[in-house]
Parts: sequence; structure tokens; C-alpha cells
Amino acid sequence: MAPSNAKRRKLEHVSSGEDDDDSFAGFSGSEEDSSESAQPSVNAESVGQDFAQGLGMDDGGIDENPAEEPESTVHLEQAVARASREEQAIVNGAAKTAQPKQMPMANKISYSRSYESGPSKSGIFKLQMDDMLERVRPRQGKREAAAEAALHRLKQTIEQIAPRPAQSVEDAERALLKEKIVIPFPDPRPSKDVLYKLEYAKPANITVVGSHVLKVTSAVRRLLQIDMVVQMPSHLLQSKDYLNYRFFYKRAYYLACVAAALSGAHGDEYSVSYSSMHDNVLLPVIQVRPTGKTSSVADKPAKAPAWQIDIALSAADDVFSAEKLGMSKNCVRKNDEQVKAHDSPTPLYNSSLRTCMLMNAYLVLQHKAASSCAAYRDACLMGSLWLESKRLGSSISRGGFGNFEWGVIVALLLRGGGPNGKALLGPGYSSYQLFKATLQLLALQDLRKKPLVVGEAKSFTESSEWPVVWDAERSHNILYKMTDWSYQALQSTAKRTLAALGDQHFDAFDSTFTTPVSSRLLDHDCLIELAHAALAKSATTKRERSSPLLSDLYAVLRRGLGDRVDEVDLHVPSTPDWNIGVARPPPSTGSVTVGLRVDPEHAHRLVDHGPSADNKAEAAAFRAFWGDKAKLRRFRDGSILESLVWATEEAGQSVVEQVCRYLLGKHFGARVEGSARFVGDECIPLLWKANGIAPFQPLMEAYKQLETDIRGLEALPLSIRQIMSADAQLRFASIEAPSITHGIKQAAPAAVTLQFEGSSRWPDDLVAVQRTKLAFLLKLGELMNDNVEAVQSRMGLENQGEDVSNQGFLDITYDNGAAFRLRIHHEREQGMLERQMKLKELDPKTKQTSALALASYKRDFVKGSAHTQAIAQLATRFPGFTGTVRLIKKWFASHLLSNHIPDEIMELCVARSFTQPDPWSVPSSTQNGFLRTLAWLAKWNWREEPLIVDMSGSGELKDVGYQAIGTRFEAWRKLDPALNRVVLFAASHVDHDGTTWTDGQPSKVVAGRMTALAGAAMQAVEAQSIDLDPASLFVSPLEDYDFVLHLSAAAFGSRKKSKETGFKNLKVQNTADTSLVGFQPAEDFLTELQTLYGAAIVFFCGGAERKVIAGLWSPLTAPRAWKVNLRVF
Amino acid sequence: MVPTKSPAVATSVNDFTVLPLRVPGLPSYPKDTTHHLYLRANAPKAPTADTPREVFLVNVPIDATDVHLRSLFANQLGGARVESVAFEGARVGKGITAPVAPARKKRKRGQEDGESAAPAEVGLLPETWDRETHCSGGTAIVTFVDKPSAESGLREARRAVKSGKTITWGEVIDGKVPALGLARYAAHHKRRHPSHHALQESIDAYMTTFAAQEAARAKALARQRAEPDEDGFITVVRGGRSDLAREDAVRLKEEELKKRQEKMIGEGFYKFQHRERKKKESQALVGQFEMDRRRVEEMRKRRGG
Repeated sequence: MAPSNAKRRKLEHVSSGEDDDDSFAGFSGSEEDSSESAQPSVNAESVGQDFAQGLGMDDGGIDENPAEEPESTVHLEQAVARASREEQAIVNGAAKTAQPKQMPMANKISYSRSYESGPSKSGIFKLQMDDMLERVRPRQGKREAAAEAALHRLKQTIEQIAPRPAQSVEDAERALLKEKIVIPFPDPRPSKDVLYKLEYAKPANITVVGSHVLKVTSAVRRLLQIDMVVQMPSHLLQSKDYLNYRFFYKRAYYLACVAAALSGAHGDEYSVSYSSMHDNVLLPVIQVRPTGKTSSVADKPAKAPAWQIDIALSAADDVFSAEKLGMSKNCVRKNDEQVKAHDSPTPLYNSSLRTCMLMNAYLVLQHKAASSCAAYRDACLMGSLWLESKRLGSSISRGGFGNFEWGVIVALLLRGGGPNGKALLGPGYSSYQLFKATLQLLALQDLRKKPLVVGEAKSFTESSEWPVVWDAERSHNILYKMTDWSYQALQSTAKRTLAALGDQHFDAFDSTFTTPVSSRLLDHDCLIELAHAALAKSATTKRERSSPLLSDLYAVLRRGLGDRVDEVDLHVPSTPDWNIGVARPPPSTGSVTVGLRVDPEHAHRLVDHGPSADNKAEAAAFRAFWGDKAKLRRFRDGSILESLVWATEEAGQSVVEQVCRYLLGKHFGARVEGSARFVGDECIPLLWKANGIAPFQPLMEAYKQLETDIRGLEALPLSIRQIMSADAQLRFASIEAPSITHGIKQAAPAAVTLQFEGSSRWPDDLVAVQRTKLAFLLKLGELMNDNVEAVQSRMGLENQGEDVSNQGFLDITYDNGAAFRLRIHHEREQGMLERQMKLKELDPKTKQTSALALASYKRDFVKGSAHTQAIAQLATRFPGFTGTVRLIKKWFASHLLSNHIPDEIMELCVARSFTQPDPWSVPSSTQNGFLRTLAWLAKWNWREEPLIVDMSGSGELKDVGYQAIGTRFEAWRKLDPALNRVVLFAASHVDHDGTTWTDGQPSKVVAGRMTALAGAAMQAVEAQSIDLDPASLFVSPLEDYDFVLHLSAAAFGSRKKSKETGFKNLKVQNTADTSLVGFQPAEDFLTELQTLYGAAIVFFCGGAERKVIAGLWSPLTAPRAWKVNLRVF
Repeated sequence: MVPTKSPAVATSVNDFTVLPLRVPGLPSYPKDTTHHLYLRANAPKAPTADTPREVFLVNVPIDATDVHLRSLFANQLGGARVESVAFEGARVGKGITAPVAPARKKRKRGQEDGESAAPAEVGLLPETWDRETHCSGGTAIVTFVDKPSAESGLREARRAVKSGKTITWGEVIDGKVPALGLARYAAHHKRRHPSHHALQESIDAYMTTFAAQEAARAKALARQRAEPDEDGFITVVRGGRSDLAREDAVRLKEEELKKRQEKMIGEGFYKFQHRERKKKESQALVGQFEMDRRRVEEMRKRRGG
């Protein structure tokens, strides 16, 4: 790049401000040049060396560029200054319509700065967001046109309905029954002797409300839903109608009349049915859908109707006084009871009525917000996508918080809600800021204890036990449909999303907006399924709430489980729509699902302490709640407490299950308890000795012993710098916990590295270094044998023929069975190998062996031990981690992939689901961790995404680290676009290389199979959900392979072959035979097969987990037709 | 996918004779299989004096040893006597390298140039396998005692093919070579844990030789440094004061000096530093933006939007 050239371009950019795309093309062009120049030099023979150079060049390429154009500094400064002035304006969305391609450079800078977390975070989130909004923004299409045409026709029909004179309830019902229409009276239906009359008159007005008319629904939804509101004329209602369901009865009659007219006029074009608005039984609505060929059943998504019009009825907003419908007022009076004060408040009833009165008011509110705040619509769109992906919705079965609530809350916050009645959000906020601020409100303020009040709250004084967002101007609680548990679920979801958005390094976009939270099995640690019918029979309700039964269930479980669970969530099936010839939906046959999020620290506690016996009142309450289970006990510290004792978990039921079952039986009867199905850690029995890190403790103690023993040796020629472990067994991560009981020798010795203090007396020759290491090991072995009790040591050789690699190790076996494999780490090896690779005169073969030796040096001595430490820390930090790792490894082994996918990669995958749990919380049970890891494996796009895990938990991996890893990843992909060498790229805070474990290891075929298998497993999870048998995920058919070798048990070092010796004492000697430590013929066999036939066959093996080796012929070896070698010149 | 045997196997391909060998079944797979060995007179690009008495084999069975091949020619193909067998060395990459001269059993020992063969003989680590195996489809060169034997060997092979005589692979070598299977791995396990004494001896021998070699080399280099050559120049050679450890120390020192220099000046001392920093920042931002944009576009493409 000539300086003059650069100057010219810069000048252009300052003058025009538009044409500078060229200069950036120049930028990227030069980058590509540097990488391309590296590309041709790659060939199969000497990839290692060339590649290292290629990386170096690429690293430099980006840094060097900025230094090339010193002249343009001033201009650039101006541009930046201008950018910062413009920043706010652009954030506000003024520049949003501009296509990124024509964006002036100033905007580019500000664009990337506008992301509020500072320059370190990339602007990719914002770009992605804008891109997504562009795609989901509502547009006028075919189905919209069809739906709107239908709207017009429906409106006409409704306007032309003839009025019906006032009739008694009975007459009205009879008249409508002639037309085969039933009035959808809410429960309880009006008694026969009521005096008031039902009447129909022409509606006051007909409007379309809701998200469609506000243009805040996402266009990619499967179903276009439009809300149409028919306002009942006020003269049909009397001032006392707000009491005792009278309004709802009149409304139901009016609705039935509309339904009659609609089904009469459009019965053949549209299907007309009743449905409850947001599952609220008080508010039936008419649902109109096109009758295609389908029967409008939602279980056939391919043929599901494209649109749906909900016709709701409203009343004028002044027919009833708002004060009388306050949250603490009672509006359902009992006749026999004269004392009003004893009536409990009926907030759901009141709010439902208010909803009918306020439909138009909220439309106006949202409209105003949309016109005053440019980003309002986008914020609503983002909210709706977020809610959709988290499976939240307005209907009670989905939590009672949906698009409407989101939109109204944002609109309210634009007008108030802050301190001193000021607005919490400003009209100048960007859509992302609106979105995030609203999330913050949901996540951080407990709306149950501290309700959010917007506007002058005259009528609002009380706090309640349910969440409240009080709109004072319209005196309405926006969250009236929410329950305790659904609010808690919403809050924790919002918290998790906020945490993910706050994470500087990971792209939270997909998990926030696009990835649906799929199966409940993944979401919760435990699921309890209860038959709805059984539960309904055991009703013992007092409170007026959307679902009194569930409240009781929730309260009982919440109290009973205490700190064993973090969260209890209830899921109910939603009410289906029903025929207009029937008054009420068919009784629900579905089941209630209780989801528990377990706190692993407390979940397994066997004894619960209640109140002290002296505290009479509390003790009595405790006894009342727990019944016979509560026992008075005296504890060691002398206290006498009410307490509960649960059976140990080995008996088959986890403590949580016992508690739940007991409580269900006690409070809801044996039928409910009998109908309950409990799904918890079904995976646990798949592992032998699965209780956390405990099974590994004997080996860890032996390791400590080894360390003290070695450090205690005095006659060593060099002092010891450090002893490090580098083995899956020493990081709580091997499938089988090492068994070192009864003196049986551990089959696979655990790798340990030993580093001496530096000395100048090491030779300067690689081969000699390896021999010197052997000499040290010999000396060490001698000393161990002489000085330490109960230990045997033995030299072993490895890497025969590659004399620059490590040549030997020392197996140290304790008499109790623990076995270790000691290797010496000499820190100068790396430098010597690197130097050797740089030598120009070296032949390619030696270069390759040096490259291999270097890779294995880094793996075994540097990265291996660091990785081991990091994983061991994770295992102690997260109780479910060890089990998850072991289960995942077992899964890979069962599918015969464990000889391809290195252990460390599996561990990193699991570590990822624990350190970046988004969109879930940190898994607290083995099964959960396992399924989530599988879910991630299934959607991991390893071609384009590196796996980066910061296992430190304290953010040890800094921005620079992330950038370096990203650059490396891109460089690898550029140099090896066909993924012949590196397929999976996995880096961690202790390993920035990313290819330490995966250089040449899993091929593309194998990685693809891994993804496919994980995908199949996830499909099974989705399909079977609660009926899933986890063991079935571990079954892999052998039909896919071309041939299968079944190995005998002897090949796995099984000790059963000594059975021919008839003498007991001989047998014992045999099992204690140290010479068999590390004897793994199956592994040796597989390695040999791979070297002999690796060019033509891919072998699959699952180690001791599955005693087979399967083979797949490479497609290149397929029989080919004989071709005549003709060439035309 | 399984490369099943085509019904009619050609008896010869180009100038190779295709000799079918019967591989007897095993208890775990009791079926006979047929292996095809390809033979022809060796015809390398650069013939040597031995070429006429050599036969070139392709697709050598993986378990072939010189015992196998000797017995094949001596007992089953007319009794030609084999002098030696050279198997193809390790494969490099995907291509097949031409067979090399008889594989040296002795490993090469680092310092290749100018090293006499004498020290290479000592200090070898014990062999860990009792028998070598060869890559599937590998080649070998069989050297016969004389040219007529080689010719008779080939002729007999051709005749055997024509007459359809069944030749069983490894029929008469029972017990002459170590067994394969579990026994092989058991033996390997035993061999890779050599006795303390043997290992110590080997390492001692190696280290002594190595020390002697180092001393000799140092001496030679010192001499080179001291003596001018015939033109009167003194060759610059490695060694002397700049050994490896010293180089590291020098580098460290350099870095330290550089750091000190930077510290002395400080970061925001000159105006141009400030300016350059700002420029770098904004450029990084723009670069980042471009990169992000590209990534998002790629993502969109992937989604097919």
C-alpha cells in the first residue's frame, strides 16, 4: 500500500463520507492477502511447521495495518469526534433504517461503540439484533390480507345482528338452544330464579386491538392472532352488575348471540368456537378460524390454520366504578352471610372485569407510547421474541405474562414508575435499552413485596402476596393472572437472561431470542406428574385465585421442601377451545407437572430440624403440617427438636421424592400420591458409585502420599520443583471410579508429572535429554524401592522409535492398589524442539517427528496438568459435575466414539454447560447436566464456532485471551477450510491453543456422527419427555458398521482368566500382581489396527464400556469399475 | 462398501503375477480368506548390482516376516532360497514411498551429520515388540541368493497361479515366529517393562558415548575456530561462548532493557503517542465492526434468510 494512495483514499472519505467502503475493502483485502500468501505452502507433509508460520503471519496482519497511514490521523480524529456527537442519535434508531452497506464510517465506529458495554464487547450483538428485527417486523402478506378480509366481514355481520328483547335466563337459554348454541356461563351458572333479564342490542362499537394492530407481533409466528373487541352497549348493564357474576352472565349471553349470528352467517367458511381468554374461565371469547381441509386441531402444525380471530366483549370504561373493583374488594357476596368484612377479596374476579372495561384504554396507551418513543415497537418485538423462546405467555397456563403485559409495562414505564413519579424509561432510549431495563425491573425488583405503582396511587395502599404492577390511572393490576410460582419462574428467567447479556465474552443472542427452551426435562432437575382429575377431587380450597388447587399444591410443596429446592414451578395444560354447542370446556384430562430445581447442597439431607419443643405454637403447626412423620428428638448438642428423618437414598427413592410423596399423601390423599410419577435422577444407576467425588477420594489420598514420599527422598540428584497430576482419574473424571480396595491393583495407572529444579547440566541434545530422564527415573525408582514401605516401582518404555519424544516412565504401585505413572517434565524440551523445527536444513520427516514430539510435550506436560487442576476445581465447585462428566464419557463410549474424541474435549463440553449455563441455571443434578450437555452438542456448529471455556470461575480468561483464541480459530479455518486436520476447536483459560487435544483427532466423519447422535438423543428427549428412559440413550446399534470385532473379556485385562488356578491363595496373589498394572491389550490392539489399516478403515471403540471394535470402510476402498486408461491428447 | 472379492480375479495385472494365498480361519472367525500377493521382478529406476536377483512384492500380508517369505519360496514355491527381505518403511502421508534399502534395525541417533557409525551401535533401548507388523497393502523386496533363484521363484509363482494350487499362508512356520493375538500384547507388555539392570546398562553406555562424542565435537569445533583454512579465513562455528542457555539469557536481558526503556519514556508523554493510541483504537473499532458485519452476514446466509 503506497502512502500516496492511502492519503488519496482518506481524503475522499472525509469529503464524501459515503464512499469509504473502498478503503475498508482495502483493509480486508490486505488481511486476506497475508493469509493467502501463507496458504499455498501448506501440504500434507509439513503442515506443522508451515502452519506455525501461517499463524504468526495472520496474527501480525491485523496489527500491522494501522501503522501504515500516518497522514490521515487528523481526518480520522475529526471523524471520531463527529461520531461521538452522533452516537446518541444513532442509538435512538435514527440510523436504523440505513442499510449497513451504505453506512458512513463515522457511523460504523459509533455503531460498534453504541453497544453500551464499552469497546471490548463486539457490536455483533447489535448487528444480529437489527438483522433479526428486520426479519420479524410485521409485514403485509397473504395471510394478513385474508385475515383482514375476514375481519371486515365479521364486523359487518355483527353490526347487522338483530337485537333480542330482554328475556329471563331460562327463556334466553331456550331460545338460543333452538339455534344449537349454548350460553358459555361461567361457573357457578346463574340460578333459575334471578330477576334480571338478558338482552342483546347493537354493539356500541367494534374495534381491533392488541398486538396486531399495534404492529408488535413477530412476522415469523406460525399463527397470526388478531383480537377483535365488540363493546356491549352500556344501557344493557346496570350499576350493580359488577356483583356476583352478573356482568359475566350478561356478557356470556351477548357472546352467545354473536356466536349464533356468526355461525349462521359464516359457518361454512370459518369455524366458530368458544375459548377462554388467556385461560380465564370468567372470560369466554369466540374464536374464528378458517376451515381449511384441516379440522383446526393444533397438533398438525403443517396444516394449522394461518390465522385466528378472537372476538372478545368489552364494556365502556365508565360503567362501573373503579374503586369498587379494587384489589382488596369483594364482589362475590354470599347471601347467607351478611357481614361484608368477612368476605375475602376477589382480585381475580375484579381484575377480569376491569380487563373488559379497559381494553380500549390500553390500546390507546400503547399507541401513544409507540408514537412518542421511536424504539417502542422494536422493544415490544424483542420482548415478544424473548417470551416466545422462554415459553412464557399471557394465558394462565403459560404464566400469565405475555406480549400484552410486556407491552403495557414498557408503555407504563415510559410514563412513570421511577422515583418521585418520574418516568423510568426515556423516550430517547434505544430498543435494546428499553428491553434490558424492563428485564432488569422484572429480575431485580420483587413485585410481591414492593409493588410497582405507576401514576398517582390514591386507591392503592395495600401490598399483597402476589406480584403487582399497579396502573393507577386505570386502576388495574397488570399482573393479575400471575401466580406465585409463575412469577418466580419469570423472575429467575429474567435474571438468567440478564446474566447472559452481561457476559462480555459470549454471544448471548441465540440463547436470548432464538433458542427455545425445549423440554421440561432439561429445565428442571425433578419432575412430578400428577393426574389432574385426581387432584381436582381432593380440593380443599379457601382462596379466590385463578387455580386454588394449584396454590395449595404449591404452598404445601414449597413449605415441605424448604431449602432442598430453589424453585418450584407448576405447569398446567391450557384450556382448549370448545364447541359452541357446549357450555364449558370438557374437563381436563391432562396432568399437572411440578418442576423442581434442586439445591444439591441440601437436597440429600436425611434429617430435618423443626422448631424446638418449647416453642409450643410452632411445634404444633409443624406437627399439623407433617403429621406422624414429625418426631420429637434429642440431638447431640442437647436440644430437643421436632424433626423429620428420611430413609437413605440407597433404598431407591431420593429424599426429595420421599418428601414430595409423603406430603402429597398427607395433604391430597392417597389417590393423588398414587397417581404421581416422579422423574429425577434416572441416570444415577447407570454409573457405578455415582455419589460425587467421594469414590475418588482413596486415590487422591494415595496421590498425596506419593507426593510426600517423593519429596521425602533425600538422595535425589536434583531438588523437586513440582509434582503435578495429569490424569482423568485424578480430576474426578474417569468413567469408572478407580477401585483401590482389597489390594487389587488399579488397571490404569494415573499419570503424574515430576519437574526438577532447573539445572545447567542437562544435555543440549534432545535424544540425550530423553535418556537422562530415563536415568533419573531409574534412580528415583531405586530410591523409592529402598526407602518407602509398601511400594513397588517399575520402569516402562514408550514411544519406541521416536527418540525425541518422551521415552519412558516409572510405574509406582502401592500395596493398597493405587498405581501411578510418573514422567519427568523437562521445561527446556519445548525450546529445543522449537529450535529444531526452525532449522532450515532439516528433512521433512524429522521436522514432522519434532512437531509431533512438541505437540505431545505440550499435551502431556503443560496443558495436561493445567487442565487436570482446572477440572478438579470445577468438580469440587459443582456437586453435579463429576457425575455429568462420567455420564457423558459413558455416552461417548457406548456409542463407540471414545477412541476418537479425547477425554479432555468431553470434559470441556461438560464444563461449558456448567460455566455458561444460559439459558438455564447451573445444572444441579447429574441427569440435567448430562441432557443439557447433549442438547448443546446437538446444536454445536463446530465448523464455525470454537468451544471456549473459562473454567476458572473468576474470569481469568481476559479479552486478550478471547481475541487470541478467536484469531487462532479463524486462522485454522482459513488454512484448513476442508477440516482435514482440525475439526473441533476447543480452548480454555488454561489452553489458548485450541488444538491441543484435537489436532487430527476426531475426523469430520466422527464429529458429524457425534452431532447426529446427540441430535437423535435430543429428539428422543423431546418426544418422550417425562417417559424417557435414560438408559435408552446409551444404546447404539451395531448395524451401521461394516464389520464388528467382538473382544473377549481377557482383552480388557479382566482378572477372571485366573480362574483355572484352583487355589484361593494363588488367586489372591494373582490379582495383586503388580506386573499387570497398565496391561491393556485391547488398547494396544486398537492402536496397532489403526496403524496397520488406518488408511482404509475407520475404527470405533468404546473401551471397556463396550467390548467391541467396529470398523467402517473408507469410501475410497469401495470396489470400482475397471476403467480403460484412455487419454485423448 | 466392503471390498468384496470380485468373482474373477485377474491372474496378472500389468507385469505383476497375482498369487492367491489362503489365510486359514481362526477360532474366532472360522472361515478361510484369500489374500492376493502381487509379485514381479524388481525394476527400480536406478538399478543396482543386486537388482537382478530381487523380486518386488506388493500387498504383503500385515503379519509377514522374513521367515514367512523364506518358507513361502523355499517350501511352497519350488525351493528358491532367499537371502534377505526388506519391508517397506513407515508410510508418510498418503503416498506410498518406494521401499528403502534393508531397514536399519539400529535407530538413528540425533547428530546425523559427520557422525561415525560406531557410537550408534551402543546404548539402544530394548526393543518392545517381539515381531514387526506392516501396514496393509505394503511392499517388500525379496533378495534371493542368485539370479536363477529369483527367476525360479517367480516362475513357480506363475505356475502355481495357473494350476490353481492352494498355497496356505504361514503353513510351515509354526513356532518359528512369536505368536500374534493376546500373546503378542502380553509379550509387549512384558518387554516394555525391561529389567532395571538392562535399562541402566543401556543408558550408561549411551551416556558415556554421548559424553565422549560431545567432548570430541567440542574439540573439533575449537580447532576449527583456531585454525584458518587455506584461504586464511577462520570459520565461524557454533559453540564457544554462545551455548543455548546463554542465548536465552541474552534474550531475556534484551527484553528487560527494552521494557526499562519504555518505562522511562512513559505512555502519554509525547503528543504523538496519544494521537497514535487514539487512532489505533478507532481503527480497531472499525475493523471489529467490519468483522462483525461479515460474521452476521455469514450467519444469515447459514440460516438461509
